Amino acid sequence: MSLMYRIQHPRDALVWEGEIPLFSRYTMGIAGERFFREIMENGRLMGTRCPECDLIYVPPRLYCEQCFAHLDEWVEVPSTGQVHTYTIVHADLDGNPLEEPRILAFIHIDGTDGGLVHYLGEVDPDQVCIGMCVEAVFKDKAERKGGILDIAYFRPVG
Amino acid sequence: MKEHVYETVYLREKDFQEGRVLFETWDPNARYAWDAGIAIGRFLQELKAGRLVGTRCANCGRVMVPPRMFCEHCFVPIDEFVPLEDTGTVITFSLCYVTWDMVRIEEPQIPAVIGIDGASPGMGIMHLLGEVDPKAVKIGMRVAAVWKPPEEREGAITDILYFKPL
Repeated sequence: MSLMYRIQHPRDALVWEGEIPLFSRYTMGIAGERFFREIMENGRLMGTRCPECDLIYVPPRLYCEQCFAHLDEWVEVPSTGQVHTYTIVHADLDGNPLEEPRILAFIHIDGTDGGLVHYLGEVDPDQVCIGMCVEAVFKDKAERKGGILDIAYFRPVG
Repeated sequence: MKEHVYETVYLREKDFQEGRVLFETWDPNARYAWDAGIAIGRFLQELKAGRLVGTRCANCGRVMVPPRMFCEHCFVPIDEFVPLEDTGTVITFSLCYVTWDMVRIEEPQIPAVIGIDGASPGMGIMHLLGEVDPKAVKIGMRVAAVWKPPEEREGAITDILYFKPL
């Protein structure tokens, strides 16, 4: 028995093409709203603290992930941190090569138990290392829109 | 631990437009290309020509539509295509007052599974019913395909516009 089935012309090879319309809108939530407004309006990072567990959450949470207590103690945290881990990206979301590689890092924020995923800038990819001390570079206030990209990138300190 | 109930926040379109709430948008590119394969590829080509085809299992004799290249009862490969009628019987149906993107409609769409004449009992395709009073639709109703004009067909299930009562 054969499964051979010859098509007479390449146009007969059917590929079904389609497009699924997907539009999404993500709200920041109660804690996220305050976190990003502080960045936008005051150029500073905030976290929430759990007094029971002595943990500072960045980004801020409304409840403690350890003890589930409601958190309402907001604290200003430094805009400096250390590179916890990083990767060098050479392609965009559609797989197209980037002209300049971008460095993405998880930055552990000093004095807290949390951190942010963000770009590293003003640094050569070869120079990046885990443990590197970095600081947030905020965009000019007029350019801030209330989102994580109100921080342009993190750059090495010193 | 003290119970804490968070205040409920209702958001309206105006809240977004007037910047009262921060948000991010993302419109992911969800284009895709799906290789129809041998059986469905042939099925779509035949639709373009105004015909319905199925496949027959040489082992159990079942005639299947939409066609497939193996029999899921016998696990044997299939290589025989058989022509089918473009008439059939309503196996099941639904009256649908909401479109796929959740818009209410007054006149219902009537999706139905239509057992195609020439295929084994229970073998059918999903399509719409038309030219029929929604209240008059019954399981077992005899229907026939209404085709698009040949020049408008593109090798798609929508080359059949709908099925109407015989």
